Amino acid sequence: MSINIAEFNPEQLANEYSKQSPAAIIKLALDKFENIAISFSGAEDVVLIDIATKIKPDVNVFSLDTGRLHAETYRFIEQVREHYGLEIDVLSPDAEAVQNLVRTKGLYSFYKDGHKECCSIRKVVPLRRKLMALDAWITGQRKDQSPDTRNAVPVVEKDAAFSTADKNLYKFNPLSNWTSAQVWEYIRSNDVPFNALHEQGFSSIGCEPCTRAVLPNQHEREGRWWWEEATQKECGLHVGNLKK
Amino acid sequence: MRITFVKKIKADGSPCRKCAEVQARLEKDGYIDEIARTVIADERDTDSEGMQLAKQFDVDRAPFFIVENEGQEPGIYTVYFKLVNEVLRGKTNEQDAAKDIMDANPDLDFL
Repeated sequence: MSINIAEFNPEQLANEYSKQSPAAIIKLALDKFENIAISFSGAEDVVLIDIATKIKPDVNVFSLDTGRLHAETYRFIEQVREHYGLEIDVLSPDAEAVQNLVRTKGLYSFYKDGHKECCSIRKVVPLRRKLMALDAWITGQRKDQSPDTRNAVPVVEKDAAFSTADKNLYKFNPLSNWTSAQVWEYIRSNDVPFNALHEQGFSSIGCEPCTRAVLPNQHEREGRWWWEEATQKECGLHVGNLKK
Repeated sequence: MRITFVKKIKADGSPCRKCAEVQARLEKDGYIDEIARTVIADERDTDSEGMQLAKQFDVDRAPFFIVENEGQEPGIYTVYFKLVNEVLRGKTNEQDAAKDIMDANPDLDFL
């Protein structure tokens, strides 16, 4: 069943579902939208697929192949495809844009210039193209992934990044209130397949050159873009002392 | 229509890299004359006009644009390509738009 999107009220539903289980939030998403897909990164967000396929066995799933993922991640995406009998739409970056980047800046420009240029070409452009064709998407984003940026991850929201003046896009974050420990408890209890990199100390998994294993009790963010300094993340306006 | 461009001076007194980049793009794309006023949000001075505007409009990112039309609530744009597409009715390069999206949405790092 799909709804009249004009009547969809994400703020109201975010309040209503803020304490609900991921399964309830995924069911809401799949009940409300037909043109919806799960974004699967090849990591522990596999729990979204495990839960969703119990509700809708042929749920739409897509994955962003940046061309720089670990071999373990490619193998895991295949394992998930076979395990759940799903079609996974694996999205590739624009070849010409990647060639231009590599030709002008080399294969490892992100170590010098920061990761955003490469990520925008290999990840965000294909993602944006995919999302333009959807009404809603489901992500594995959690509040505990980055204490500084994830303070507010509503379980459902209007997607401010990818909505346009002509079309609203809605985003469901069913794992928002789960901790990493809860995700892993679910994976173990339900015999969910997982990426072999997790057994090697990788907590957050992205592209191979930009991801490293972390030590016990290190925050997962420390395994990503560790060479970048805080000064490169400077867009925030520090108005804390101005707030009412 | 009146557009105010708010750019930032960081707490250490240095200019904001993204603000300089956006200003250069405004000039390169031929939109700089559409900007009625440029205002500084100086993180060392909470009374600076830009900091007060950030407080008034509850904005926590820089740069940002305030778009005022008579008889309407002001519109706030924190992403350059959205200002160009939705207000100035122009087009932006797909890669520049993606980079703007990344700058404004650090959460996307985790996809």
